[in-house]
Amino acid sequence: MLLIAQGRLDFGAADEFQRQLEQALAGAGASPAMLIVDCAALDYVSSAGLRTFLLAAKTAQRAGIGFALCALQPAVREVFDVSGFSRIMAVLADRASALAQAPQPPA
Amino acid sequence: MNERRTSVPSEAAQLPALTQFLQEFWSAAALPPAQALSFELALEEIFMNVVMHGSHPGTVPRVEVSLVLTDGDVTMTLEDDGPEFDPLSLPRPDVEASLGDRPIGGLGVFLVRQMMDAVSYQRVGARNQLRMSKRIEGPEERADSPSATDGRLA
Repeated sequence: MLLIAQGRLDFGAADEFQRQLEQALAGAGASPAMLIVDCAALDYVSSAGLRTFLLAAKTAQRAGIGFALCALQPAVREVFDVSGFSRIMAVLADRASALAQAPQPPA
Repeated sequence: MNERRTSVPSEAAQLPALTQFLQEFWSAAALPPAQALSFELALEEIFMNVVMHGSHPGTVPRVEVSLVLTDGDVTMTLEDDGPEFDPLSLPRPDVEASLGDRPIGGLGVFLVRQMMDAVSYQRVGARNQLRMSKRIEGPEERADSPSATDGRLA
């Protein structure tokens, strides 16, 4: 299952994106169960956006679904690094490596 | 010196207008667009903090935002007339915790502290004042430029 994140993921956009993540996770049951979020077009993320990724990663871990982000722009990557999220989620260079790797849910 | 100032009620619906205010300051001062993001983030985090936590019941504080560019440093100040609250007193989140142990929330002010060079809080009369500043590097000093293939695989 692939979800595209794009534009500004700020306080105003977070609720809708969280719904998209929840829907994608609910539909990610096929084997191997996995959700990849492609962030190539994601320009901005705040703590409200990070919150949605954390909720999704926790849900995925509990459900045994692989969860990975890929193709983060440098400014978005910085926010993931500073918050420690790039250590608790699989953050991969591009969609191809995300698909190839099919990582296990992080411990 | 470039300086701009605006004032809005502390309502979530004002966030896009504040972001636009920041972006207009940024382009008027001819600053590198990529470096606006850390200020956009700080503005959202601190403003939303006031919106969510900074009012007496039944009142809507006003938030004043000012931006100043001096000698390559941008300083952004947010002042509100809500109850006294120092966001810098919030506990630092444990960014080393495992996924299962990471609490939801508590990251906003931490991100601001990390992304800015200096952050300070003062109670000034009946107002909270949070001042954030960061050195802005000129375009010629930027080491990295995005490669053409990065993240653009079909």
